[in-house]
Amino acid sequence: MKALFGSRLELARVRREGFTRGIRAVAPLLIGTGIWGLVTGVAMVKVGLSTAQAVGMTLLVFSGTVQLASLPLIAANAPLWVVMLTAVVVNLRFVIFSAGLHPFFRRFSIGRRWLLSYFMVDMSFAIFLSRFADAPRDERGTTEQVWFFLGMSAGSWTVWQTMSIVGIVLAAEVPAQWGLEFTAILALIAMTLPMISGKPALMGAVTSGVIAVVAAGLPLKLGLLVAVVAGIAAAMSAEIVLERHANAGGTS
Amino acid sequence: MSNLEIWLVITGLTLITILMRSSFLMLGDYFPLPERVQHGLRYAPVCALIALVTPELFLTQGAFNLSIANPKLVAGLAAAVITLTTRSMIAAMAIGMLIFTVLRA
Repeated sequence: MKALFGSRLELARVRREGFTRGIRAVAPLLIGTGIWGLVTGVAMVKVGLSTAQAVGMTLLVFSGTVQLASLPLIAANAPLWVVMLTAVVVNLRFVIFSAGLHPFFRRFSIGRRWLLSYFMVDMSFAIFLSRFADAPRDERGTTEQVWFFLGMSAGSWTVWQTMSIVGIVLAAEVPAQWGLEFTAILALIAMTLPMISGKPALMGAVTSGVIAVVAAGLPLKLGLLVAVVAGIAAAMSAEIVLERHANAGGTS
Repeated sequence: MSNLEIWLVITGLTLITILMRSSFLMLGDYFPLPERVQHGLRYAPVCALIALVTPELFLTQGAFNLSIANPKLVAGLAAAVITLTTRSMIAAMAIGMLIFTVLRA
């Protein structure tokens, strides 16, 4: 494998192909990302952030969920620690994401890992892991995979930031009642359903979906985390039951 | 909030977000996860994405709303059916948004 990567030209080609595939994989979702970014841009200004603050927030934080979760608290003059605690809870899923991505990025220096972390968003994680989770242990973190991730990141970052800034600038002109943010939900539906393959995944999806509705009333968006953990547990239980079933069937 | 307080919030959110995003990318070297847990994480994407969607569809201002007068639910289900039958994301989004807009009018 290493010999293939001997020449610089070959390496450049692998990088370019990975990057292009990443952009292609994320492209259909960028409509949702763009509209979501626009909505977030508008919301930041409506809450009372100055243009500099809104642009600073979108460039530095780069997380729609955290930004949107903190805005009502900023508007309500909540204490600093409440805003921070909310961000921690909303971000808990990133701990799961980074655990999932660690096998792929472990070969990089600490500095590079910081950079890769900055680009970690729900969509990129989901597409990446659903595509490469089955890669054998020694084929995790190939150049092609990493550049695929960078391609997805470049696409989502550029579209998100551009549309956020458009939203910040146009905040006064966009009426809230258009309900444009719903396109992001539709995009998520269209992206997620094809990812559900196999009974354990279906079991996990149904459980997570139901728990998310039931637990939506929990404070600090904890419902999302509870739903994800329950979904994973359900999928793994289903897997174990199916395995036992198959084994029992095989030996009789 | 004052100008300074808002900048403090932005700084805090930036630090928390990057620290949590990088958590296991950094610590994973020292605390390797058991194979079983790593295996389970493959289900995390689907679970997380579905959990973002269902409350939006089934809840209206926090209350369970399972009626055909719920525009988000009807539009979302239509988008789901289109996704499963045609695999076209653009079609699912366009028709979903059309139904959503018409039902809300």
